[in-house]
Amino acid sequence: MAENYNAPAELNKFRTIALGVGGIGLIVWAAGTYFHLEQGLRSWLLGFIFWGGITIGGIGVTMLQYLTGGAWGVVIRRIVEAASRVLPLVFLMWLPLAFGITHLYEWTHLPPDDFTVIGRGAYQTPMWWVIRGLIYFALFGVMVYLLNTWSANQDKSADHEEAARWLGKATAFSGPTMVIYVLVISFATVDWVMSLDPHWFSTIWGLLFVVGWALSTFCFSVLMLAWLGDRAPFNRVLGKRHLHDIGKLILALVMVWAYFNFSQLLIIYSGNIPEETGWYLTRMTPGWFWIGMILILFHFAFPFLFLLKQDWKKNIRMLSSIAIFILLIRLVDMFFLISPMPRIAEHGGSLVLSQSFSWLDIVGPIAVGGIWLWYFFGQLMKRPLVPVMDPFLEKAIEHGQGH
Amino acid sequence: MDKKLYGLMAEFDSATELVDAARATRDAGYRKTDAFSPFPIHDIDEALGIKRSILPVLVFFGGITGLLLGISLQVFVHYIDYPLNIGGRPYLSWISFVPPAYELTILLAGFTAVFGMLFLNGLPRPYHPVFNVPRFALATREKFFLLIESADEIYDYDDTKGFLEGLKPQEVFDVEE
Repeated sequence: MAENYNAPAELNKFRTIALGVGGIGLIVWAAGTYFHLEQGLRSWLLGFIFWGGITIGGIGVTMLQYLTGGAWGVVIRRIVEAASRVLPLVFLMWLPLAFGITHLYEWTHLPPDDFTVIGRGAYQTPMWWVIRGLIYFALFGVMVYLLNTWSANQDKSADHEEAARWLGKATAFSGPTMVIYVLVISFATVDWVMSLDPHWFSTIWGLLFVVGWALSTFCFSVLMLAWLGDRAPFNRVLGKRHLHDIGKLILALVMVWAYFNFSQLLIIYSGNIPEETGWYLTRMTPGWFWIGMILILFHFAFPFLFLLKQDWKKNIRMLSSIAIFILLIRLVDMFFLISPMPRIAEHGGSLVLSQSFSWLDIVGPIAVGGIWLWYFFGQLMKRPLVPVMDPFLEKAIEHGQGH
Repeated sequence: MDKKLYGLMAEFDSATELVDAARATRDAGYRKTDAFSPFPIHDIDEALGIKRSILPVLVFFGGITGLLLGISLQVFVHYIDYPLNIGGRPYLSWISFVPPAYELTILLAGFTAVFGMLFLNGLPRPYHPVFNVPRFALATREKFFLLIESADEIYDYDDTKGFLEGLKPQEVFDVEE
């Protein structure tokens, strides 16, 4: 167990680049936002939901791999743990939304006789929106803290038996916490994203994010594996079977993403009642319709067919290509959810695609992403890249070497 | 040596021994071989040089057939043969067509998987010579068997028997036709 599993020092170079890109992005974003506050906040929300989703997804995947066991979990555990430890930064990134709440959410400007204002009472007020946000981050924070502390304690264990006790603790914690985790995401995404349109609601909304964020997290982890797997020490760990297993999980999540989105569409289409159809009517106007079609084809059909092939799931070049592709299309998906939502400047109306799309929608995710990656690389370098004392480490490495 | 033999079979105690023996057999040039074990062994396909099954390809096309069948059935019924106004929706309501088309995709893919597997395995097959070896019943419990068929090009009773014995099995059996 004397082997050295520290992250390659080359990561420092990427930290600097990420911080530089993020810093410049942040300045450009701030300048753009100065002239157009509502658009700036919305683009920030886009970046926050996309990158924050990898952090929150990291919590979920950490718990998932404890619950299912398996070699793939041992291999990506440290990557998803590092992603989850970006949470303090994600909290800071949430603050602009909290401070800009009256410039972002239309419900802060509704007349008092609006049915949602009457029906939702204090729940739909800026104060309670902020208090709920603090509660979500507190709950996520407890999960991140405990899971990461136990994992660090496992590394310090004297023997495998002590290590196994920490593993058991994390596993026992993950079961019930997974339920809370999904509920917190459901409440949080209703507050952060769905409430952009206060008059529309969907009960599957939270699950769209649970699945989408898990998918982003797996794809991001594959990119990290592709980079780390080329270098010492991770090239001794990563095998084809690990990639095959993770590829299968990505395939499954691509299908679940399509399943949940289609469930929402089918139910609203069948019900055909005015409270619900507006959301899709906006997105079926010419420009937005094509974004929707692109999502069906390239967020579902293409990755689905691609990932059916076993050889491509086992090939790191192929798997990381599709992972980058899915991450980009995830951003388009988030754009499709966020951008057509009613705007304050339009008095609750939506914009057509050509007016809705702003250059800030590109700068926002780059600014958030640069800073996120800078923090992430720092966290990744703090701990060994594999759980060195995990009783299943040897077995997990061996599993990967098969065919 | 009056009886015509189907092949020779060696019995092993563990999966590792079986895989090692399978590798040696393949290296020695035998091609018409087979292995039997109580549980799936991941490395055995590669050790014996068994090609990957074409079943996944068949299943894929089974699924495509189901999908096209489901779509054309609904287009025919709802648009061509008997157009019916359902809640004012268009006759070609593709959103409503998805679940039945999806179900047919799964159904035909599933049928292809099951019946294709049976067909490719040569099942049902009421008789197989390996069962002429009484101890072969243990292949479903705790023993591992390696078979070399007499139809193999380089098969020769004495040579092959000597070769199998060289692999240090528990025992080598003649498998009668």
